[in-house]
Amino acid sequence: MTTSTRSPFSRTITFSWLCVLFLAPHIHAQEKKSTVEVPPPPSVQADVSKVEFDAIVRVEVEVENRNYRVPWNIGGLGSGVGTGFMIGKNRFLTNAHVVSNRRLIYIKKMDRPEPYKARVLYVAHDCDLALLELEDPTPFKDVKPLSIGGIPKLNTTVIDVGYPIGGERISVTRGVVSRIDFRPYTHSGVDFHLTIQVDAAINPGNSGGPVLQDNKVVGVAFQGYSGSQAQNTAYMIPVPVINRFLKDVEDGQYDFYVDMATQTINLLNPAQRLALGLKNDGRGVMVTIADKAGSAGGVLETGDVLLAIDGYDIASDGFVTIEGERINLNEIVERKFVGDTVDLKILRDHKLQQIKIELQRFIPYLIQANHYDKKPNFVLFAGLQFQPLDRELMGSFGISNLKARYVYSYFSREELYIERPEPVILTAVLPDSVNTHLQAYTKQLVDTINGKKILTLQDVHDALNSDAHEKGQENYHVIRLLGEGRPLVMERSKAKAAHQRIMDKYNVGYDHFIEKPLILESKALAKAREKAAKK
Amino acid sequence: MHIMHQSSLRFLLTTALLFATHFSPSLQAQDAKKTAQKPTIEVEIVPSPASSLVRINATLQRYNFIRPWEKGAPTPRRGLGAFITGKRVLTTAELVENSTYIELELTGTGEKTPAKIIGLDYEANLALLEPIDAKSTILDKLVPLKLDDSVSAGDTLEIWQVEDNGNSVTTDVKVLRVAVGNYFIPGSRLLTYPVKGSLQYHANSFTLPVVKNGNLAGLLLSYSSKEQTSSLLPSPIIKHFLDDLKDGDYKGFPNMGLGYAQTLDEQLRKFTHISDKKGGVFVRRIVADSSAGKGGVKEGDVILNLNGHDIDSRGNYSNDKYGKINFSHLVRGASNVGDKVKLHIIRDGKPIDLEFPLLRKEPGDYLVDPYMFDRGPRFMILGGLIFQELTLPYLKFWGDKWPTRGPLNLVHAQANPEPYEKEGRKKIVFLSQVVKTPATIGYQGLGSIILTKVNGQAINAIGDLAEAFKKPNAQGLHKIEFADHPKVIYLDARMALAINQQLSKYGIGQLQNLK
Repeated sequence: MTTSTRSPFSRTITFSWLCVLFLAPHIHAQEKKSTVEVPPPPSVQADVSKVEFDAIVRVEVEVENRNYRVPWNIGGLGSGVGTGFMIGKNRFLTNAHVVSNRRLIYIKKMDRPEPYKARVLYVAHDCDLALLELEDPTPFKDVKPLSIGGIPKLNTTVIDVGYPIGGERISVTRGVVSRIDFRPYTHSGVDFHLTIQVDAAINPGNSGGPVLQDNKVVGVAFQGYSGSQAQNTAYMIPVPVINRFLKDVEDGQYDFYVDMATQTINLLNPAQRLALGLKNDGRGVMVTIADKAGSAGGVLETGDVLLAIDGYDIASDGFVTIEGERINLNEIVERKFVGDTVDLKILRDHKLQQIKIELQRFIPYLIQANHYDKKPNFVLFAGLQFQPLDRELMGSFGISNLKARYVYSYFSREELYIERPEPVILTAVLPDSVNTHLQAYTKQLVDTINGKKILTLQDVHDALNSDAHEKGQENYHVIRLLGEGRPLVMERSKAKAAHQRIMDKYNVGYDHFIEKPLILESKALAKAREKAAKK
Repeated sequence: MHIMHQSSLRFLLTTALLFATHFSPSLQAQDAKKTAQKPTIEVEIVPSPASSLVRINATLQRYNFIRPWEKGAPTPRRGLGAFITGKRVLTTAELVENSTYIELELTGTGEKTPAKIIGLDYEANLALLEPIDAKSTILDKLVPLKLDDSVSAGDTLEIWQVEDNGNSVTTDVKVLRVAVGNYFIPGSRLLTYPVKGSLQYHANSFTLPVVKNGNLAGLLLSYSSKEQTSSLLPSPIIKHFLDDLKDGDYKGFPNMGLGYAQTLDEQLRKFTHISDKKGGVFVRRIVADSSAGKGGVKEGDVILNLNGHDIDSRGNYSNDKYGKINFSHLVRGASNVGDKVKLHIIRDGKPIDLEFPLLRKEPGDYLVDPYMFDRGPRFMILGGLIFQELTLPYLKFWGDKWPTRGPLNLVHAQANPEPYEKEGRKKIVFLSQVVKTPATIGYQGLGSIILTKVNGQAINAIGDLAEAFKKPNAQGLHKIEFADHPKVIYLDARMALAINQQLSKYGIGQLQNLK
């Protein structure tokens, strides 16, 4: 499931008196009793003597950060500590964020000093999980792996084991299961999945560690709030997410989550229900936007009512009931894999229809995601530095240009990727006599170069390193920025002479690094672009 | 926005004549000063802060753009005005913006009389006041100030104030230069005098008149205590304002409607074929329906000369009196609406001469009003849905950082009006927020979404909305369509009307403002 960010009102507007006024006649709607079962709090995991502590390891990682401002340089070096645990023969589960941007990984046993060299087998940045293996598994040949359990009940006790800050040795903390809900996964910054909230003290270093109940893994500790925001609020990745990851990699590669890429609105409003031809039976949500490059693009339409998904009735607030638990309808999609289908019962123009949708990964939203394990892409030409627009760039350069922010925020929602799959920003100018008047024009989106519309970073490189030119201007490189009427012009002969000079002066090792953007691999996007081109 | 009354304007015409005859040469003032120790009648003719300034007490009450049916808390403001011929008092528009009540107070005796605005220009930040009671005599003893027209860089001017006890206070400041600078309305740039000198405020916080040799040289626009510099609204702009008021048809300051870039870049000069020329500015943006747009100026043109003045590559021209100042003064300050402007430009390497009339785009002519005073935003409430026309003051409710904190789609629309204007929109109408009512169940949390259609009709201004809501469908529902999620919602027409009645009963006094 993707999310789109919306700026909230920065000023609180109080309508409380009105709310009171209008809520009064509707209280009867809330009289129905909650069905959440809250059992008494038995101490399910009081005894830790049977916990296989040897399977819970300290993961030490040397990291190499990226430098988006000076993309030809490597970034700072650092190190970090997390927790991992053995789930099978030479298989250690931990968080993706523990091993992101790694140079080296070492695993340490609870009571042994030696670091054992490890490597990443699979990493899933969209659900913050990674699977590691040791180069030499012998030190763990007698260790019994932890087994994976299920979803724990609310208000039952769990323990969290790991290597958090505050000491060197292994730590055990205890808490109860507070809540099961769909929550954002902050590692990628754009994904929402099922999480379980616990009130155990989970601190930096606990990441990747097991949360246990009845000596079985019921989650992987992964994120929480700082004490200044909320107390005793930590989250773990629950078993359905873990199992999905493990199943996904069974074929030797990780294929990421699939997504409907469809926005819906609840159908609580009687007028809305009447207009759509629905009874007052509390069922159905309405499709507002089905993203063209998403699984449902071209299949679902604005105004379609989703009534059921894979046979589960969809309530008018977008929830389904699975195994007695009310849960966001996206959970049905969440458990599926690339190429799987989902069956939808919909009402379109007052007529019932059955629709099957093949599920795919949704790529456009990654523009807003954190990137890991990736070298920054760039093109440097006569001191002009071009880079693809993404979250890292927005942050590193503090880009406040309105057009850039708009394209960044509405890239997926307004389907701007159809026109420009990889928007490019002129991020910086390395000063030289050839470009000294162009420095005021940085941090803006590039529209055309030498008459060629810039769709990807590759286009920038191609347009500048060819004899492409604007009509009648064969002696100039002409760069036009979006929303800026003044073109950036450089005489070709001067730019050519300046290029190497600038590279030498500013210690630039190489002048470009370009990878084919992932978005170009999307079949749905290709289709949508074809359609747009025909128009 | 310009509040004027025909009767008072006729009055202005006659006083303009007085202006010419009443004042004897400034020598007389000098003579009077020499005899100041004698308690004779001449003493009163010498202008001084005590004799020629009037205290202005204004109560302002701003409109609330987030809750458009409300006005904010009334706030008092105190400032000084310059008494000029014909019982008129000149002050800044800022002092009397959104005012509900204005009174003039004699600095010496404290006598007061209610006043009205007879001329107002927010872009030039000027207001002209006179007593509501035409028979009021309290201003009769004051000495009118004459406009100075001699200030240049290096001059020493006096900032005039009056203490609570009626004593005059003057502070000397030195004119650093004459330049085109910022005014009260962001983006409205006109002639200013940046001056240097430390200043203490006495008994007022707004609008201090500034004088040279007993003549009004300007009004204080802003003061930075840290830098000890001030910016003055100078007499040439005041003169433009007063002259414009004379014929009873106030036109305001013309605007060109173009953005330019400097041409210091030698490569850009060659590229635009002006390397053999001197100066010139590159046209980088043209505002639709502006003087420049209608006059045939195009993006990419290089303007070399305007009305016979060569423009240098920074965008300045040489003014006989002020030295180098920005060429916008030739249009904004030195011309009137309707005047012809002559441009010599280079387009695609070829010289072209253009001549076209200067127009003025009123704030209401823009897709998104850049400012709005003395009236509330246009809005309409139906069943708990609050619809509004987008204005810049609305976005500014997000604070100083509104460009980054305000709703991005609305901020973007404000900065990029062209696609909306091409669709035929006069204004952007949007759903600003949803009040929870039985008719809006399920719609809570929606807000800041631009409207496209209601009941099948395109919404190009708030008036269209009122019309469209008269025609619900056969089921008695209103269909409301948006540019973005949730795309389409429905509202029960009868229930919405019933809720509107409830809303007015419970405190929302006004359910719409369509004017």
